[in-house]
Parts: sequence; structure tokens; C-alpha cells
Amino acid sequence: MTAGVLVVVGALLGLGAATAGASLPRGLRVPAAAALIWAACGCEAAAAVHVLATGRPIVLRSTELLPLTGVTLVLNTLGGVFVLLVVMVAVPAVLYGIGYARHGLDTRTAACVFPLFITALFLVPTAGSVATFMVLWELMALTSLLLVLVDHGRSEASRSAATWYAVLTHVGAAAILIGFLILAAHSGGQTFAAIAVHARHLASGVRALVFMLALVGFGSKAGAVPFHVWLPKAHPEAPSPVSALMSGAMVALGVYGIVLVGDDLLGGGPVWWWLVVLVLGGASALFGSLHAASSTDLKRLLAYSTTDNIGLVLLAVGAAGLFDATRHPLLAALSLVSALVLLFNHAAFKGALFLSAGSVQAATGSRDLDRLGGLLRRMPQTGALFLVASAAICALPPLNGFIGEWLLFQSLLHGAAIGSTAGDIAIPLAVAALALTAGLSVVAFVKAVGIGFLGRPRSASADEATEVPGTMRVAVGLLVAVCVVLGVAPTLIFPAVERAVRTALPGLRTPVLAHGVDLQVVGLRGMLAPAALAGSLAIAVVGVMVLRRALSRQPTPRVVEAWGCGRQLQTARMQYTATSFAEPVQRVFDDVLRPVQDLDVTHVAESRYVIESVTFANTVDDAIERGLYAPVIRVVRHWGQLSRRLQPGSVHRYLAYGLGALVIVLVAVAVMG
Amino acid sequence: MSLSELGRVLWRSRRVTEPLGSVDASTSGSRDLVGSLQLRHVDAGSCNGCEIEIASVFGPVYDAERFGTRLVASPRHADGVLVTGPVTRNMAVPLIKTVEATPQPRVVIAVGDCAHDCGVFRGGYGVVGSVSDLVPVDVSIPGCPPHPTAIIEALRGITRR
Repeated sequence: MTAGVLVVVGALLGLGAATAGASLPRGLRVPAAAALIWAACGCEAAAAVHVLATGRPIVLRSTELLPLTGVTLVLNTLGGVFVLLVVMVAVPAVLYGIGYARHGLDTRTAACVFPLFITALFLVPTAGSVATFMVLWELMALTSLLLVLVDHGRSEASRSAATWYAVLTHVGAAAILIGFLILAAHSGGQTFAAIAVHARHLASGVRALVFMLALVGFGSKAGAVPFHVWLPKAHPEAPSPVSALMSGAMVALGVYGIVLVGDDLLGGGPVWWWLVVLVLGGASALFGSLHAASSTDLKRLLAYSTTDNIGLVLLAVGAAGLFDATRHPLLAALSLVSALVLLFNHAAFKGALFLSAGSVQAATGSRDLDRLGGLLRRMPQTGALFLVASAAICALPPLNGFIGEWLLFQSLLHGAAIGSTAGDIAIPLAVAALALTAGLSVVAFVKAVGIGFLGRPRSASADEATEVPGTMRVAVGLLVAVCVVLGVAPTLIFPAVERAVRTALPGLRTPVLAHGVDLQVVGLRGMLAPAALAGSLAIAVVGVMVLRRALSRQPTPRVVEAWGCGRQLQTARMQYTATSFAEPVQRVFDDVLRPVQDLDVTHVAESRYVIESVTFANTVDDAIERGLYAPVIRVVRHWGQLSRRLQPGSVHRYLAYGLGALVIVLVAVAVMG
Repeated sequence: MSLSELGRVLWRSRRVTEPLGSVDASTSGSRDLVGSLQLRHVDAGSCNGCEIEIASVFGPVYDAERFGTRLVASPRHADGVLVTGPVTRNMAVPLIKTVEATPQPRVVIAVGDCAHDCGVFRGGYGVVGSVSDLVPVDVSIPGCPPHPTAIIEALRGITRR
């Protein structure tokens, strides 16, 4: 019962933080709200740890809070993992927000809505009924929407981004609501417990409809292709702590929804459901990583990389469902473990990356990689943290990204021979997609670090950049520390993750991973010693440094100008840019990316052999947005124009409508009566 | 190399490659580049006569690569710079930058009379000076143009092969 109190106190503290943010004077509101929201995070984390340690869910009911339906909060082990994930991103993001506040987070609205957003984030996984879930889900969507709009006065782009986000997230919410209503109508109750009991006996068509609706709804929140178009618009426009929370935590809750409906409520489904998830995941991973590799806006790159990572997670969720449907509980559990570990990893490094991108933007006023450069020398700590987080997202050992992808590879490679035709085709393709994605994301982050932080500054503002305040660096440092700890000692979180997987897949009897310092997949041949790996890497690095010092004949290296083919005039603009770095990838994947290139040559009036100026424009916009959404928007706009003919503003015509309607009703009553 | 000489060489040889005598070890003082010498060629304003001879040096007939010398595409990969021609105004800064960009220990080899003392171009309005006026020269190969065997002899003096 004490644990239940913690959940309630956490929620109340979150509301208190929002009130403090709304009511206190400007200088005080951000720190006060931060302190309260940290306390709230502490309570929720304690409750989640309690649930994960005991394995017993917390159940709270209140009939007074919401009219008609009441509030049901159920925190089980699956939800507990997600609560921990939210807290892990929220604590550093709030700390970062204190230093970042003057970039738009200290207005009354933002200081109130930001804690409310975090509260909604950690309450969503505790929702135990349809009504509670939808209220919290909408609260999360609306607060994040308001936070995207914080900068609305200054840029048209943020208004457009907010519109895209609002429409997609509400189409998603509608799909989720319809799915849940169908389930609740067939189950005679709207709590998840009641639904879970009845949903297994529904007709297969209804179950499939519900699952597909959930996939659309939660997929749009998770940023899976083709519902990802809001991500590269909203993430760059939102303040960085909000982007970090949206990308690290909120998007993960989309995956939570898919697991909740697919595994927890519907109790698994036929193979084709999960093949759809698998295909969606593979497509998201490839499309996201390709666009990340060709983006030149730092935060847009990170947003596409979120689509890429969520694609990997969906790949793992799809594989888990596939293995479950073909009666391979161990492989299914391993895939789901890898999905949750990937989500944790993604939250840690993407949070760190978005926060450091915010630092870069705060220091230079730009997110355009082609205007940055040389930042490692000017912002050494931010640069080093960004470098480590980039190495983590590229899945380099001994960091956490490697562990997640290793687990996913283990489950997919062992699952290649499950003896189902669909699996035999899908799994090898998934492995190939995973491999290509891994390569492309390395391209993206070599570009981000190499162009953004190395070389010479490409603009005056990048040249004058100075290190950001200490709180912002510490916040990024916390998340990077999580990356390192989860990379060296991943077994710390495995007991919790395995408990969560047992909630989603109740059929599992044996443990999946042997707990110790080393990672060992029980029952399959797969073993990894992350601590030994990290240790030997450290020894190798130190050894090479010592040897180099001992063997070096030239004690002081000569510093000369970078080689630029001996040109007399050499400027920073002659360096490799993000655009030119991405050009080979863009050329190879021309058919998918469909870049628009425009070369405009102006000749001197006297002779067409002498060129006056050359203008080159290269834009890579989203082919899915152009091909799928633009026609829909055109049709909707057309219908909107048509409907305006009914409302020309003439009072006479409106009176005529009223009269006509009355006549029709009277005739209908007369005929039927 | 005249056409008749080339014809004689081709007629004579079973092997296409010209046999060359043993190396004269007294040419260069430094022992740093013994065995292998990677060269970046800079045309500082040559009439291209020396270039034709250099092409011949690294061609199949004289094949200087068998003595450990090689032409490379960047001074960053090179141990030495092979300079031809008098240094013209446009090439003065690129020459200095190229030599600067070559890691030490390095050699600068001036090929031909023009590189040595501007040759027939001395006093020309576009000429800044000889190579040694701008960068320290280690080895100078006389001739207008120098015979391939003379160039090879100088290179072998550095590689000692």
C-alpha cells in the first residue's frame, strides 16, 4: 500500500510543480518547478523499483476523480520499466532546463506545461483503464504540443510543425480510442484487466482490427514510417529538453502501447500481425537512417535517427511476436528483452544528443551543420559528451548501443531457423536491414561529429562559441554516464527488464539471460563479456598510447596548415560540408531519397563562355511527405473549399436551410408516424 | 631521349627495362630515406620537357619503382618533392606550401637546369627565381632535360638501392 501512496504523491507533486511554474515569479518558477518534479520523479521511480523488485503490481482505484468512469491506476512490471525510462530522461532534462530556461522555457506557460508533460509521461504507463489511459495520453499529447509551440512568436516553422504534430497525433489518438472502444464494448468493462480476460475470446477479425488500429495510433506516436513526418518537423522546433523527452521517452511510450495492446491485452496474435510490425520496423529503420545520413540540420538528423532507432525496436517487437506466434517462447522473450534494452539505450543516448544539440544551438545560434565546425576546441566538454553519445548510438563497444544491437542480432540470428516460411523470409531480411541501418547511422553520426565539431568554424557565430553553463553540461554528462554504465554492466537492468517481459509474455517459464557479470543467453549459444571487453579495450588504448610515447622519435610535432592542394587562398568554406559528406549516400539511394537539385548558371552578358555566377541548391525533403501526405492534404483542402459554398455568409440562405431541415423532419415524422 | 635512341633501346632489349649499374653511394649524406622514397611532383613552371623524362623514368623502360621510388598523389604521403622548372609567380606559394606539407625527414629534388638556375627563362617577367631561392634544395639534377638515367642515378643515391 505504501508503494501505491508513492504513485499518488508523485502525481500530486507533478501537479504541484505545474502550479509552481504557473504562479511563482520569473526568477523562482523554473528552479521551484524543477525541485518539485525531481521529487515526483523520485516517488515514481521508487514505486516502479518496488514493483519490479517484488513483481506485484500496484492497483489504485478512485470513482470520484473522473465522472462516469473513475480512475484506475495499475503499475505492473512492464509499466514500471517505462516509468524508470521516463524518469531517467526527465531528471537530466529538467536539470538542463534550468540552464536553458532563458531560451523560452521560463515563460509562465512553458514553466507550467513542462512539469505537466513530465507528469503525464510517467503516469501513462500506470494507466489501468481505457478512460484513464486516454485522458493521460491526451494530456501528454497536448502538453507536448504546447511545448513545441513555445517559440511560435518567432518562427513560422514552429507553427507549421505544431500543426503537423497536432494532426498526426490526433489521428493516432482517434485510432487508439476506436480500438479501445471496440475492445471495451466486447469485454463489458473498460479496465485493462477486464479487457485482457475477454479479448482472447473475440473473433479473429475484430482482434486484427483492434491491433491494426493500435498499430496506426501508437505507430504515429512512436514515429514509425509512414507516420514519422511530424518528428523531423517538431523535434527541431521544440526547446531541446522537450525534444529530449519527446524523442527519448514519449516515442518509447508509443512502443509501450503496441506491446500493451498486442501482448498484454490481446495476448499475442497470428504471424501476419507481427510481420506487419516487422516490415514497419524495417522500413522505419532504413528510411530513418537514410534521412539521418543526408540531413544537414543537426536536430533534424537526430529526429530521423529517432525514427531509425524506433524502427529497430519495432523490428525486435515484431520478431518477438513472430517467435511467440510460432511457439518459440525463449526467442520471443529474448527479442522483447532486446526491444526494451534498445529503448533504454535510445533514451539515454538520444537524450544526451538532443541536449547537446541544444547546447550547440544555445552557444552558436545555429543547428545547420554547414554553419558549424571547430566546436570541439571551443566547447570541449559538450563536444566530448556528444562524441561519446554518438559512439553509443553507432553501437560501438563498450557503450550501451552495442549491447542492445547485440541482443537483437542474437535473437534474429538464432531465430533464422524457426521453421516457418514467413519467418524464414522475414528474419534474414530483418538481419540485412539491421546491418544496413547500423552502417548508415555510422555515416550520419560521423557527419554530425566530424562536420559539426571538428575542422574549422564555418561561420562567425561558431567561431565565437563558448562553453554552456555547468548545469547543462552536467545534465548531458548524467545521460552519457548512463550510456557508459549500461555498456559496461548491462546486467544491472536485466532482472528488471526480464520481469517486465514476463508480464508481456506470460508463457515464459525459464530465465532468458544468465545473471552475472557476463551476458549469456540461456539455452542458445550466445555470450558476451561487456566488462572484459571494456577492460581489454581500455588496456589496448593505454598500451598504444604508452608505446607511441616510448617509440616516438620526434618529441615535438610540427604544426602546419591543413593540406588544401597548395591553394593560395584557403578559407573554412573549402572544408568538407555536411552536404558534400552526404552526397555519395544521397547518390546511391537516389531512388528512395529523391533529392531536388537545382543548378543555375548565369553567364556574363558579353560572352556565354564566361560564367558570372553559379547557384546550386540541394534539398532532400521527405519523399513520403510529398508522395503520401501532400495528395491527402490537397483533397481535404478541395473538399473544404467545396463546403464553403454551403456557407457563403448569407443569412437568407441559412434561414432557408433551417426551413428546409424543418420541412424534411416534419415530412419524415408524418410518413413514419 | 631521341626517337632513334628509343628504337635502339627497344631493339636491343630482351627485357624492356634498361639494366643499370651499381649505385653510387656517395651522392647523398642522409640515411633517413634509404630503401623507399615516395615523391610528390610539383611543376613550378616547367616547359614540360622534364615531365616527359620523369614519365619515362617511371615508365616500363627505366622503371624507377624497382629502386624503391614512387610517385604519390599528395605531399602528405610523400618523403620528398620533385620540382621541375623555374618557379613562376603563380606557383611560388603552392611550392612553398607543398614542401611545408611534406613530413620530415624530406628531400627536395630540383630536376633540370631551370629548377637549378632558371635556365633559359632567367630574368623572365613571370619568374620569381630558382627553386633554391624559395625552398632548401637537397639534390639537384642538371640537364635540359636531364637524361632518365641521370634522374634515376640521383634517386638511387637517396634510396641506395
